[in-house]
Amino acid sequence: MNSDFTAIEGRSPGYWQLVVVLGVVLAIGMGAFLAVEFLGHGITNMTNRVVWGLPHVFAISLLVMASGALNLGSMSTVFAAKQYKQFGRFSAYLAIALLSGGLMVLMLDLGRPDRMLLPMLHMNFSSMFTWNVFLYSGFFALCFLYLWSMFEYHQFTKVVGSAAFGWRLILTTGTGSIFGVVQARDVFHSAITGPTFVAFSLSSGTALSAILLILTYRHTHRELDKRLVFGLRNALIFFTLLVLYMLVVEKFTKFYSPAFFEVESWLLTGPYAWLYWGGVVFAGAVFPLAVLFLPKSGNSVDGVLLASASSVLGVFCFVGHVLIAGQSYPFDMFPGYEIVNSVFQDGVAASYSPGAVEISLGLGGVALSGLIYLLGIKFFRLLPEKAVVPKGWEVPWNP
Amino acid sequence: MTMDRRTVLGLGGAVAAGSLLAPGVYLVAAPKPPARTEVKAGRRWAMLIDVNRCSPDCRACTQACRTENNVPLFGDPERDIHWIRKVEIRDKSHKRPSITLPVLCNHCEHPPCKHVCPTAATFQRQDGLVLVDMHRCIGCRYCIIACPYKARSLVYHETHLPEGGNPKVPIRGKGVVEKCTFCVHRLDAGEEPACVEACNRDGDKGMIFGDLNDPESTIAKRVLEAKTTTIRPDLGLGPQVYYKGL
Repeated sequence: MNSDFTAIEGRSPGYWQLVVVLGVVLAIGMGAFLAVEFLGHGITNMTNRVVWGLPHVFAISLLVMASGALNLGSMSTVFAAKQYKQFGRFSAYLAIALLSGGLMVLMLDLGRPDRMLLPMLHMNFSSMFTWNVFLYSGFFALCFLYLWSMFEYHQFTKVVGSAAFGWRLILTTGTGSIFGVVQARDVFHSAITGPTFVAFSLSSGTALSAILLILTYRHTHRELDKRLVFGLRNALIFFTLLVLYMLVVEKFTKFYSPAFFEVESWLLTGPYAWLYWGGVVFAGAVFPLAVLFLPKSGNSVDGVLLASASSVLGVFCFVGHVLIAGQSYPFDMFPGYEIVNSVFQDGVAASYSPGAVEISLGLGGVALSGLIYLLGIKFFRLLPEKAVVPKGWEVPWNP
Repeated sequence: MTMDRRTVLGLGGAVAAGSLLAPGVYLVAAPKPPARTEVKAGRRWAMLIDVNRCSPDCRACTQACRTENNVPLFGDPERDIHWIRKVEIRDKSHKRPSITLPVLCNHCEHPPCKHVCPTAATFQRQDGLVLVDMHRCIGCRYCIIACPYKARSLVYHETHLPEGGNPKVPIRGKGVVEKCTFCVHRLDAGEEPACVEACNRDGDKGMIFGDLNDPESTIAKRVLEAKTTTIRPDLGLGPQVYYKGL
């Protein structure tokens, strides 16, 4: 089933152009970080009402996708889908790449990034951030051990891969719980926030893996059996339906309670409704499902590519909506009252549009992940020369 | 020097494992920090605000706070720092006249800001004061997200001690989060917070401050006798700023 794993040559002008472009984007991102470090967050468009802006959207989206990138590895290691064993190395490596980019943005957007090691020294175990320090560093280590076992010590692959699978579920629940546990914010506070993040990680991670596999194999002129892509398509359909299910259950539960009617109405019709309907629902679920279910597009590799791109866009929109709409919605500090006047705009929805600094820093994280991936496939034997399916295996379902 | 891929992977694995284990090892090996003590342990500082006395135009408390604590104004309403702010509210049925009241850090009994702070920079003294260790704050802003009173602010710009500023309250560097301290420096010197003093001297005499654990204190008696409430008591945070007439 598996041919030899080989690194790509990486000598083509196209490869180096991509490396240079990502390098420049990363350099601009570092420039943005230095500017904020020296001049303060005053040069961003964040305020004391929207304190987590676009960098957090990029960071958390990358972290969510990092967890999801492990899907391919888990499919073979945990769920015995042997046809995807050949992508185990790619999967673990991609998870590390995305994690690196996400964590970089998260740490460089701190008000005091020079103190970024303090969470390691002074821990507060009631904080979800502290738990996430362990979850992220543990995930990093497990992905690395998983990768190492696939290279050198195959006898440990099952154990480490299974541990990584369990860990990533906890990790993404932990990421979602950063928001879910916040009682003060009506938009955040929900037990289903964590599981919804898990659902989005499953869909977007699968989608990003499909995109990178298709494009890498296409541009290196290697052979990628279409049936492997269509197997991923089926997984993406299932995970996207899971996303839709989570969204519907949350909205149904909240709309059932009069206490949430105001906030939920605001979310679905207010200033960020476009992000919810257009980004989360349409790009994140409806459009990919439509493309994948239609026989013509669903049975074409380019159709899977298109649906996957939409799914990835959907996760950014989901995180963006949770963060920005969640912070913009005015606190109901005085139930039964309306706020007439306040120097701090209490009772009024906040607005936020990212500035160049935030965009640069966020894209810098994407560029770092991209660079790590590009260099990885050049210097390590991450992908098989030919990706083929085992004899007799067929895609269980096609549209 | 060249390294083969196996060495690179090995070193990378060691770094990753180290990053996982280092915090725990450090935690075990590090000497325990000295317990935080305070001069007035056993007290429970609280504030009572009579909104019926608070007039819309009076700014005695907010101005006194700004002067006492060197709280900067950047000229940007969404980034300006407010340790205490005046808010005017009106019941939704519009049957009653509007009410004006100051809103500040409630020094909650169960402060969510303290719970979410990853470095324990936000801490609670035994007398209930919720404070921020500015040297430990990393500026993650999770506390601002978690506070239901919007009582916290990130310092967006470099600040300097203003001419004639209070040298007893150090200037906060940019990138950290700050909030009302109940004028801890004054409390520990046996004085009332600046806002309370100003309200009773120049304002509407609507603020009382004291030790809720002392049954003989004015605030303990008033909270016991008068019908008072707090902002969002349903959240179960145990806020220590009480309002009469709300």
